[in-house]
Amino acid sequence: MFAVVALGFALVFRVTGVVNLAQGAFCIIGALSMYTLQVEHGWPVLLAALGAIAITVVVALILGRAAFVPAVASLPASSMLMLTVGLLTFIEGLALVIWGSQPYALPPFSGEAPVSVFGVRLPTQGFWIAGVVVLIVAGMWFLLMRTAVGEALRACADNPTAARLMGIDVPRMTLLSFALAALIAALGGIAVAPIFSFQFDTGRFFTIFGFMAVAIGGLGSLVGAVVGGLLLGVAEQLAAGYVSSLFANGIALALLVAVLIVRPSGLFVGRRTRREDVRDEPRIYQAIVRLQGRGARIAGIGGVLFVLVLPWLLPGDGLLSSLIITGILFIAVLGLDILMGYTGQVSLGQAGFMAIGGYTAAILATNYGWPPLAGLVAGLVLSLACAIALSLVTTRLRGHYLALGTLAFGLLVDSLTVGMTDVTGGPSGLVGIPSMSIAGFVFDTPLRVYYLVAVLIIALTVLLFGGVRAGFGRALQAVRTDQMAAGALGIHVAGYKAAAFVCSALLASLAGSLYAFYFHFLSPEMVGTPRSLELIAMLVIGGEGTLVGPLIGVAILTLLPTIFQPLALYKTCAEGALLVLVFRYLPAGIFGSAAHWLMTRFRK
Amino acid sequence: MSVPALEATGLSKSFGGVRATSDASFVVPPNSVTALIGPNGAGKTTLFNLITNLYPADAGEVRFFGASLAGCSPRTIARMGLIRTFQSARIFPGMTALENVLAGAHLHVRSHAWQQMLWLPVARREEARLAGKAAALLELAGLAAFRDVAATELPMGAQKLLEVIRGLMAGPRLLLLDEPAAGLNDSETAQLGGLLSAVRDSGTTVMVVEHNMSLVMGIADRVIVLDAGNIVTAGTPAEIRRDPRVIEAYVGRDDDV
Repeated sequence: MFAVVALGFALVFRVTGVVNLAQGAFCIIGALSMYTLQVEHGWPVLLAALGAIAITVVVALILGRAAFVPAVASLPASSMLMLTVGLLTFIEGLALVIWGSQPYALPPFSGEAPVSVFGVRLPTQGFWIAGVVVLIVAGMWFLLMRTAVGEALRACADNPTAARLMGIDVPRMTLLSFALAALIAALGGIAVAPIFSFQFDTGRFFTIFGFMAVAIGGLGSLVGAVVGGLLLGVAEQLAAGYVSSLFANGIALALLVAVLIVRPSGLFVGRRTRREDVRDEPRIYQAIVRLQGRGARIAGIGGVLFVLVLPWLLPGDGLLSSLIITGILFIAVLGLDILMGYTGQVSLGQAGFMAIGGYTAAILATNYGWPPLAGLVAGLVLSLACAIALSLVTTRLRGHYLALGTLAFGLLVDSLTVGMTDVTGGPSGLVGIPSMSIAGFVFDTPLRVYYLVAVLIIALTVLLFGGVRAGFGRALQAVRTDQMAAGALGIHVAGYKAAAFVCSALLASLAGSLYAFYFHFLSPEMVGTPRSLELIAMLVIGGEGTLVGPLIGVAILTLLPTIFQPLALYKTCAEGALLVLVFRYLPAGIFGSAAHWLMTRFRK
Repeated sequence: MSVPALEATGLSKSFGGVRATSDASFVVPPNSVTALIGPNGAGKTTLFNLITNLYPADAGEVRFFGASLAGCSPRTIARMGLIRTFQSARIFPGMTALENVLAGAHLHVRSHAWQQMLWLPVARREEARLAGKAAALLELAGLAAFRDVAATELPMGAQKLLEVIRGLMAGPRLLLLDEPAAGLNDSETAQLGGLLSAVRDSGTTVMVVEHNMSLVMGIADRVIVLDAGNIVTAGTPAEIRRDPRVIEAYVGRDDDV
């Protein structure tokens, strides 16, 4: 199964140089459409499968045409990665609206009875899956190597500019590869559906494992994708069979980390390694947003006053609670902005540090009677240690592999929080966490927590502004835009990356602790990998590299669903759509674009 | 004779079967402007990349004011006082012209990140001092008008000048410039010539790869001629102009014509 998703990844990556994280979502669209057609409408299996594939491909064509293809031409690869996160979220949201959140299961294609081969009883669906994999691999090989279209696709992969000069319609080929990958995903999703229980957000799972399989095999290598997928599948099955299914993810992740350390570009190095370094290409262009001098001071003081009086202007406590959550998440996003906005490093594992901070503080305070502040500090120390250890690995990785390394870290933390039931309370969470308190003063009312968070945010923002406007920030930005030139000016590239990473980890950890103390409850899903993706969405929507801008993003994604309760169903969908739209039309984010507009107006 | 700013002995580098640089030995005297010229593909940029260890040499050694550069990272080389620019202007997008120049001062920022974060007077004074120096350099290069403009919005020629003064901001002992005049118009080239002379007079050694002969002949104290990975000759501009081997490398042999 993983091999199938991995193949789709490899195909899109080969042609466009983009890791399409929406890949797994197409599996789910395929599987869910299959359910509707086969179970609800009673279509025969083959017809339903064809129908489901057609639906998936049409969805892919629409999304590819409207968002993916135009974006490929104008966005750097790192932003594309985030854009596909947006697509993934959007499709999931769509699936949530259409199919709801309950899990589905398909009947096996050829009955429940297992067949017996050499005395071993095997479920028949296994043969169907194997057959589909073989079919896809053979079909892909034929298409790529034996047809004119395949030749054009390969030409785009090797050199898009030259391909365009030769009269190949590159955008069309990009769309084709995108749709083809969706077709493969749908086929795979339909074939596995009977052995999985699936729901609207199972796509993440497929995406993540497909991505891991591709990384193990080597980005851009089709053979590698299949081998990586099979390896990962086998490792996971063995782990689930012999150790514990709770740790199955952990073992698959260990495999990935081992491969990344030993061979940082995968087992089968794709013929083209050039594209893995896209991050180093200084082609990111952004409007420069800098409020300076008096304007900045006035805006700053105004902002502080507004934050301080805001609770008194609110009608009810419900909104205050949302504001507190906004504030806490904003602390984590501030860290992410230092890392992504200023240093240009993509991290998909930010919530992992929230979990470390949250669980450490909560466990120490709840089970061992530590003062909350001490627990919070202990969380920071542990996060610091993890961040330093992780940055030893990640500074060796670049671009997509860096994103992957942090994703693996986040998932590892996920599986630990779920797996270590004795300590963390497992999937059902940890209850009875005390309120935050400092030197005997207990933050037990929402208003008190609000002011604690507000003061922290103001202090942190002032500190970080001080840092980014001087030498430290310039060094970070130099690293982000041109590592080679930065190094030639004596900037310690790896050191600054690690510093930004540690900084972001500490802020996430702090946010995690505050989160736990505010809710008096912490469960793995509150600080899991979906949260990491959400933090990124908040950052991008607000505006990267602006520090205060992401507050807008956090506020939109946190407050809007609260204000419009009935629309909560559409939240995921809207979040994804918003992310995609912002990427397409406001690359500097809402805050960045607004500030730029104001500046150009006032300069005239 | 004083210690040379740069002394290369027997530098060689092959890519696949192609010898990009073979057995190159040369000396750059201190407080001079030394130009490295040669036809396209002669290996000038390769030589620069070997000096700054962007890739390792197959053989040979480079000494910078007497100290070997073997095994030094680009960052260490920069710390020793050897700063280079790149053939295609590698300015930092997303920063203004002033900030780009300030980034060059990285090695001279003494205040710690935490001091900057707390807006301590020591950090603010330093920032103001560096900004003043950067503004003066922008003025010297005729870029004062672009001070707060996004660096990517500058004309090509201005971007190249910006990269040169960003390098100067680092206060190097030796500045390596890779085709700084490529893409510059006549007035910008004249500006560059004046800038480089001023740099030399202030005690910084300059080594420059350049195609623009009038610029080279105007400002260089010494010229090294490279062809097909070999050093053909070296001497004063006047000597080079008369050298038949140089004319041959550039114009072709008489019997070819």
